[in-house]
Amino acid sequence: METAVEHTMTPKPDKPEPTMWERFRKVFKGHPMAIAGLIGVTLFILTAVFAPFIAPQNPYDLAKLDILDGLLPPGSRLYDGTYSAMGTDALGRDILSGVMYGLRISLFVAFTAVLVGSTIGVLLGLLAALRGGWVETIIMRAVDLKISFPGILLALMLLAIFGTGVDKVIYALIIGAWASKARLVRAVALSEMKKEYIDAARLAGLSDFRIMTRFLLPNSISPVLVVLPMSISGAIGAEATLSFLGVGVPITEPSLGLLIANGNDYLLSGKWWISIFPGAVLVAMVLCINVVSDRLRDHANPYLRAKD
Amino acid sequence: MNNLITVNDLTIAYPMSDGEIFRALNNISVEVNRGQIVGVVGESGAGKSTIGKTALGLLDENAIIEGGSVSLEGEKISNLSEAGFAPIRGKRIGYIYQNPMTALNPVLTIGEQLLETIEAHTDKRGNAAKAYAIELLEQAEVPEAEDRLSKYPHQLSGGLCQRIVFAIAICARPDLIIADEPTTALDVTVQKAVLDTLKKLAKQDNIAIILITHDMGVVAEMCDYVYVLRYGGMVEHGPTEQVLAHPSKDYSRELMAAIPRIDKKVDRFAVPGGMGKSADRDRALAFLLRREDRNVIVDDKPLLTARNLSKTFVTPATVVSAEKVFKAVDDVSFDVSHGETLGIVGESGSGKSTVGRMVLGLHQPDEGYELTYRAQDLSSLKSRAERLALSKSMQCIFQDPYSSLNPRMSAGENITHAIKAHGTVGRTEAHELAGDLMELVGLPRGNVRKMPHAFSGGERQRIGIARALSFRPDFLFCDEPTSALDVTVQAELLNLMKDLQSTLGLTMLFVSHDLAVVRQMCDRVLVMKAGQVVESGDCDKVLVDPDHPYTQGLLQAMPRFSFDMG
Repeated sequence: METAVEHTMTPKPDKPEPTMWERFRKVFKGHPMAIAGLIGVTLFILTAVFAPFIAPQNPYDLAKLDILDGLLPPGSRLYDGTYSAMGTDALGRDILSGVMYGLRISLFVAFTAVLVGSTIGVLLGLLAALRGGWVETIIMRAVDLKISFPGILLALMLLAIFGTGVDKVIYALIIGAWASKARLVRAVALSEMKKEYIDAARLAGLSDFRIMTRFLLPNSISPVLVVLPMSISGAIGAEATLSFLGVGVPITEPSLGLLIANGNDYLLSGKWWISIFPGAVLVAMVLCINVVSDRLRDHANPYLRAKD
Repeated sequence: MNNLITVNDLTIAYPMSDGEIFRALNNISVEVNRGQIVGVVGESGAGKSTIGKTALGLLDENAIIEGGSVSLEGEKISNLSEAGFAPIRGKRIGYIYQNPMTALNPVLTIGEQLLETIEAHTDKRGNAAKAYAIELLEQAEVPEAEDRLSKYPHQLSGGLCQRIVFAIAICARPDLIIADEPTTALDVTVQKAVLDTLKKLAKQDNIAIILITHDMGVVAEMCDYVYVLRYGGMVEHGPTEQVLAHPSKDYSRELMAAIPRIDKKVDRFAVPGGMGKSADRDRALAFLLRREDRNVIVDDKPLLTARNLSKTFVTPATVVSAEKVFKAVDDVSFDVSHGETLGIVGESGSGKSTVGRMVLGLHQPDEGYELTYRAQDLSSLKSRAERLALSKSMQCIFQDPYSSLNPRMSAGENITHAIKAHGTVGRTEAHELAGDLMELVGLPRGNVRKMPHAFSGGERQRIGIARALSFRPDFLFCDEPTSALDVTVQAELLNLMKDLQSTLGLTMLFVSHDLAVVRQMCDRVLVMKAGQVVESGDCDKVLVDPDHPYTQGLLQAMPRFSFDMG
């Protein structure tokens, strides 16, 4: 198995390791869709972070709301002269401001849940691969059990039991996120376990914890990093679904899902903007994240990368 | 024009991702006549396989033929399209792959694969095709040919699979067969039988063979004419005997000198390499020889005593298969004295590596064994601390340099991570030490921060040696340390290991499938077959005048040069 290109022994001048930025550029170079997605994701995140400074109105401040501004179509001016690009809802809340604040909630919930859930999943997966035996059996059967439930059903049950609230939604989504990561990491870690550097580490008398964190983790984490964006877009969708069904975030801190639910009653009476704008933003954001994540996945796949 | 195939001034280029151009072949000319067996030898990266791929139009899509051509009976074929190659592949030029287990389709029976080829290349159908398939298998010396037709590749051994690949290759009676490392994946006894068959087939049908290999012994036994390649360039070519016995170029001379000899033991190989020579080296040696923190017992007793070592691997029963029990090692006993090198040779599956892994504690032996190291009973060690103190003085040099280093740690970190974790050395001292140790094993210390992928296989193996040394071991288990390396790199590494052993007084257990390497490295040897020791004793005796028929068979099967090497 010898391809001359890979095993070249021709003396070559040392080249500096590519920097993070160079590698990052290489992933996206020549893929306009992915770049557009990346720009979109960046804009959504910036909007969410700076919403209090750029939103025309603070939708949480009930004193600022005026019932006279209720159900104005897009492009109207509010009573206090604020321009409302996306119109207002029944309470006179500016939809654009609501969407900006809603993005904050949606992104915060999704990011927190996926990051915490994935960390738990990765650690459990590594532990299963490293220890084997009954530890592995317990962890992996728990994974099977979790995966055998439809995710949204499980979340609904949990929220029904524990009540609603931003924190409860995050817990529910964490429980949704860990299992697939544990399974993924265990599969990769098992193949790494067969490699001789793990034997060398054992022979050196290193502790299991050190082998796990310094040897297994850095060599098994890549596939998880690749599916992470997809998980985040999934979690955004799941949170929106839960909120739409009324078991998600509280009405005082509306996320995108709740905003969509809010306008549901008005859709048939021609007040389309209340639901459609938050819905469009949700779709656009999930789409952007998925495009970026597709690119990352393709790049991580060596068979496809050869053709880059 | 009586040449069957002519490669004329061929230059093949690959554009690299960094914009540079890599030339896999540079102005290469090769000529092969009908019925001739021609060897193409060289180390990895020499471009040997690229010649074969060009002749069959199997080059990667991004390869560019910058110059020259390949002609078959005077007709230029290197510029043909995919469709143009169809009547050539298999019909006029056959191809034999390196790994027979992956060359055959695992989900089709041998018969289906043979019949498919027969129907594609001949007008035989039905019973005639089947009869022809059996005839082909018999020519390839497959025993019980008719029964094999209904078997799947995984039911047959590697040697048999390669014979089936031969049968498929000769199906259309091609003029030329390109055999790319046809026996590299096989054991030495199997290799001999398979090569004999290949040679017979070629003579019988007057088929020419281009034999691509890294093994000079194989070339000596098979080829009439040989081409030596390096880095895509032609070093020299000529009749086999002339090139192998009286190489005219420096590189070929070095190549021949690097081949370990079975007939006599030499102190060192006549290649550069060995320990580094700088002041850093002396600092590293000072560190390694500093032994105040451990009580070394030097007496007449062996350093390591193993009695009745056995290892049984059990694959638990599942719904679809019954429990499988495999006895990898069966009642092996041996002693290793201070400063001695004990070799273990055997073919794949003989259990030789498992023995070493049991000694190191990476495998738990079956009950009823005794393992004594430095007068300490290893089987009774319970506490982690005791086991640890011991494991630091017993280290391993692994087989596969591509998997034995942590890819996410720099070279220096790989070397000193563990001793830092144990608090043997401090952070700054560790960095210095990593550099010193790298100099000791012949790598510039400037490479300390480079990641493993930036090193070649031989360099990685050196880093692995430096890592093992960092524990100041008394005992090294070397698990086929050079089997993945080119022969000149192997010679350099073996020189290094010899130097280190004599300087540091290391005791070694050296496992290898290569009798000649064992002959060069070891004082005594155990010969293993199917988990048992069949013969043991001094290398000078066992590898020169063996008593056991198995050892005799191994020695005879070894391809070797019969020329006087002067």
